[in-house]
Amino acid sequence: MHIRDGILAPEVCLVAGAISLGAITYSLRRLRFDLEDRAVPLTGMMAAIVFAGQMVNFPLFGLPVSGHLLGGVLAAVMLGPWAGCLAISMVLIVQAVLFSDGGLMSLGANILNMAVVGAWGGYAVYATIRRMLGNGAAATVSAAVIAAWLSVLGAAALFCAEFLCSSRSAGVDPRGVLSLMVLYHSLIGVGEALITGAVLSFVLARRADLVPTPNAPGSVGTIGRFAVTGLMAALAVAAIVAPFKSESPDGLDAAAQNLKFDKLEVERPPLVLDDYAIPVPEPVWWPALPVSLAGIVGTLVVFIAAVVLAGITRRNVVPIRVADGSHGN
Amino acid sequence: MGTSGIGSDAGSQSICHALPAGMKLLLTLGIILVAGLIPLEHWPAQGLLLALVFVGLSVAGVTMRYLVRRLALFLPLLLVFGLSVPMARSNDAAWSWTLSLWLRCTVSFMAGLWLVHVLPFRDLLTTLRYWHFPPALIAMLGFMYRYTFILWDELRRLRNARAARDFGGGPWWRVWSINSQVIGLLLLRAMERAERTHRAMLARGWDGSIRFLDGKD
Repeated sequence: MHIRDGILAPEVCLVAGAISLGAITYSLRRLRFDLEDRAVPLTGMMAAIVFAGQMVNFPLFGLPVSGHLLGGVLAAVMLGPWAGCLAISMVLIVQAVLFSDGGLMSLGANILNMAVVGAWGGYAVYATIRRMLGNGAAATVSAAVIAAWLSVLGAAALFCAEFLCSSRSAGVDPRGVLSLMVLYHSLIGVGEALITGAVLSFVLARRADLVPTPNAPGSVGTIGRFAVTGLMAALAVAAIVAPFKSESPDGLDAAAQNLKFDKLEVERPPLVLDDYAIPVPEPVWWPALPVSLAGIVGTLVVFIAAVVLAGITRRNVVPIRVADGSHGN
Repeated sequence: MGTSGIGSDAGSQSICHALPAGMKLLLTLGIILVAGLIPLEHWPAQGLLLALVFVGLSVAGVTMRYLVRRLALFLPLLLVFGLSVPMARSNDAAWSWTLSLWLRCTVSFMAGLWLVHVLPFRDLLTTLRYWHFPPALIAMLGFMYRYTFILWDELRRLRNARAARDFGGGPWWRVWSINSQVIGLLLLRAMERAERTHRAMLARGWDGSIRFLDGKD
């Protein structure tokens, strides 16, 4: 997920950095804490938790690689969008400066994709769904599961936009990039959604008081939340449907037109398409079908996970003190 | 701190370590920026930059072994990523784009490694404070750095405890569920610890400013 230096053009990094700087400043202002407040050590601790949590490897169905938590939605659910955004930003800063994991110049882009989309966007989705479903533990878990999946897809789509803006000269096929990224990230997103849901369900079963209700003062307005949720959902749908248009025009194009998918073409941002009046020869080597299939399967899995995890949580909400060998101190 | 051998070793002293921290940061950013701006036609300049970074790494005392290990983790991903464009559309523009991507990314990555090696985290915080970054952000970064090592130890204890109780393996969903519980438990303990720490800090007169032991306060 981390963008390395050299992949994005300097001017794109600059713009993304400016936006991220604005987002961090705004988050700091919205928190409005005194320095003595507990928000300072708590946010630092949340950043450390996400960082340490990323060390836990999750095996990927027998593959030699493994995945890990990203944590944007988890942090936002536990601390609210502003502190959550700060926590993830700090994780990214420390990873870049201390581990050379993710670039220095592209730090702004990384913060934009993962902290701002992850925490702000994810929280908006979470808060909206939770408003609709109520304040029970089950509602909390399913809202977080869906928000986590959408936030990963949103980050992937944003990366595509940044990448296309910085590499116009190479004649990159925008749909090809988009479908490849969506194929990967709809799967990564399922992992993220499962982990976020399971962790949250564990926390809710033991210390439900640690998870705040999203209607507390200082959170986003309802209209803003709905707007962001709609945007993220549209993005996910567009990302899943878009590859249908990239296939050679005869068969699938007709299908797309029948299904009224062709309207999506109009909505695409002009800045990506500037140079693409050139007729595209079409040896696109990632076919559309697996991508869309992955998207659809991903959606189903996420919804099933939301329901199942919510069910488990509902059964588990009894304050159990685990004998976990904690030493206190 | 730095128990895990991460970050820069304060013990080693080279010309690179002696530079002011702000200069190290700006130098690295400058090199990455220049590497990003050089077009492929001027590849000798890119090579020169690569040689410069390599000299910097050697002067800073980075061992060849460490460098090779880091590059071995980094280069395969970069190769695959760079190849994705010419494979979709093989023309000259795509190939030259890939080549310049490989060069740019390698130079930037090695410059980043140099920075990691010569800049202690505390110096970074001091520099950020000198550049008037918001004090709240710097305080949080300081806390995070401190807590990270504590939580790593905590995580190790949790993993040991788990390893002592199950024999590993099992179907993937079981491993996933156990791992999620480990993270959840870490989260609970850490949040409780943060609250205790905060109360202890208040009891000791915490007023929101972090003191450094470098005589600048």
